[in-house]
Amino acid sequence: MRISLLSSAVAVALSLVSAGVFADVAAIKNKGEIVIGTLGTDEPNSFVDPKTRQIIGYEIDLGNEIAKDLGVKPVYKQIAVAARIPELQQGRVDLLAASLTHNKEREALVDFSYSVLITGQKAMVKKSSGVTALDQLAGEKILTVKGGTQEPNILKALPTAKVVTFDTSQQALLALQQGKGKAFVDDESALNNDFAKIGAGAKGYAILPENLSTEALALALPKDSGDLKVAVDKTLARLESSGEAEKLYLKWYGPGTKSNQAERHFKIDSDQVE
Amino acid sequence: MAGRSPRVLREMLDFDYSLLLSGQYHDMLLSGLMLSIKLACVTLVCALPLALFIALLRLSPVRPLQWLGFAYVESIRNIPLLAHMLFWYFAAPEFLPESFREWLYAGNIEAISAIVALTLYTAAFMSEDIRSGIRAIPIVQLEAGRALGFGYLASMRLVVLPQALRVTVAPLISQTLNLWKNTSIATVVGVAELMYQAGQVETATFRSLESFAFATSAYLSVSLLITGAAAWYQHRYVQAKSR
Repeated sequence: MRISLLSSAVAVALSLVSAGVFADVAAIKNKGEIVIGTLGTDEPNSFVDPKTRQIIGYEIDLGNEIAKDLGVKPVYKQIAVAARIPELQQGRVDLLAASLTHNKEREALVDFSYSVLITGQKAMVKKSSGVTALDQLAGEKILTVKGGTQEPNILKALPTAKVVTFDTSQQALLALQQGKGKAFVDDESALNNDFAKIGAGAKGYAILPENLSTEALALALPKDSGDLKVAVDKTLARLESSGEAEKLYLKWYGPGTKSNQAERHFKIDSDQVE
Repeated sequence: MAGRSPRVLREMLDFDYSLLLSGQYHDMLLSGLMLSIKLACVTLVCALPLALFIALLRLSPVRPLQWLGFAYVESIRNIPLLAHMLFWYFAAPEFLPESFREWLYAGNIEAISAIVALTLYTAAFMSEDIRSGIRAIPIVQLEAGRALGFGYLASMRLVVLPQALRVTVAPLISQTLNLWKNTSIATVVGVAELMYQAGQVETATFRSLESFAFATSAYLSVSLLITGAAAWYQHRYVQAKSR
């Protein structure tokens, strides 16, 4: 149905106000910098180093490599989970390195690079709740963060679950610790991180083995950004073939880190998902 | 808008009414609206008596009671509602005895904390309005009541308050409007009210314009109803008095 004149005037006014520079390689090289949107709260993809107060992480290192290949300076902009795609669509960031899951629904809105991380979403429960399998959570209160793929995935796997969402995953974890819900759902890497953060109390918690979903995380570019996607994929392919990509993965996810993965189970070579 | 793809522009201007009028997303938004209305009504019912009580505390002849009322109003008013919400949801319930706490957490702790925070916050503002209304009534009315043999509370109840509340309705209506808008803050503690549902619909469908247009018009409609009630009250009671 077509919108009325007033509403279209408002929409046009809003889009003018929010117009940023449309991301393409020439414009970025002209500016001399690439604005990369990131979360800064999702260890080890992007998080704030407590000593230097800089944002560091797996996706930050990838972003730095992309900026190096383009010959520009990377500028990182911290944004909220729910704001990632709108910021990219409105041109306020040129690239997203913000733990964005590549799925079919989002393909209509943004372009995705080669998937840089294959992970899943899992549920963390208190051992005292006696829950050992995912289907025991049917009809229970489940806590998670707003604006991501967690809630739709929970409802797909457990349609009768009562999902309560919070602005940050830290608040959702606090609510789990206080007993305000039966389970806390988040990306596997974030859960491993939280385990380490809880410290000694981690003995009272368990991560259920079943995956609620498998997710391919990728960098996101504005829709129909032909040459920027080519440039980003070229950098990723270079890192993969030289073995640097695997080294970066092991640096942030490998043995000795909080995630403590023994090896990498995927390659950075495809931007296709089911 | 230079350089923005024509597809994106077309999508921005494509307003999908069907989303708002029927189907799953319409139901979500409607349930959010119902919960917002419930929150506002329950809070209003709880906050008005509390506000009256605090106002009477501040006006009482007993000094310690005055200090109590003053402390309540100043401490609650000067802290943002968002901080109140987070306090009553994350911090305060932890001090309850364990069994009561377990029972509470299994139930609707989110809505309950939101109502407690909203009630205390709204009552602080309303009590000031009620106090001003009472002070607008000449002191001779209270003295006349005392002279007739009524105690402080009885003369308040029978003589001063009926006159004062007539004066106070206008500022109380504006506090009710504030309360109605403040229910949207409950979204930060996970209450599934209107703004929360609008955000959920937006995340699920990526149609921000439609979902927030629904939320805006819902807030506007109820606000206009509340203002209409105030106008009707003015017309019906206050005009008659000034004749």
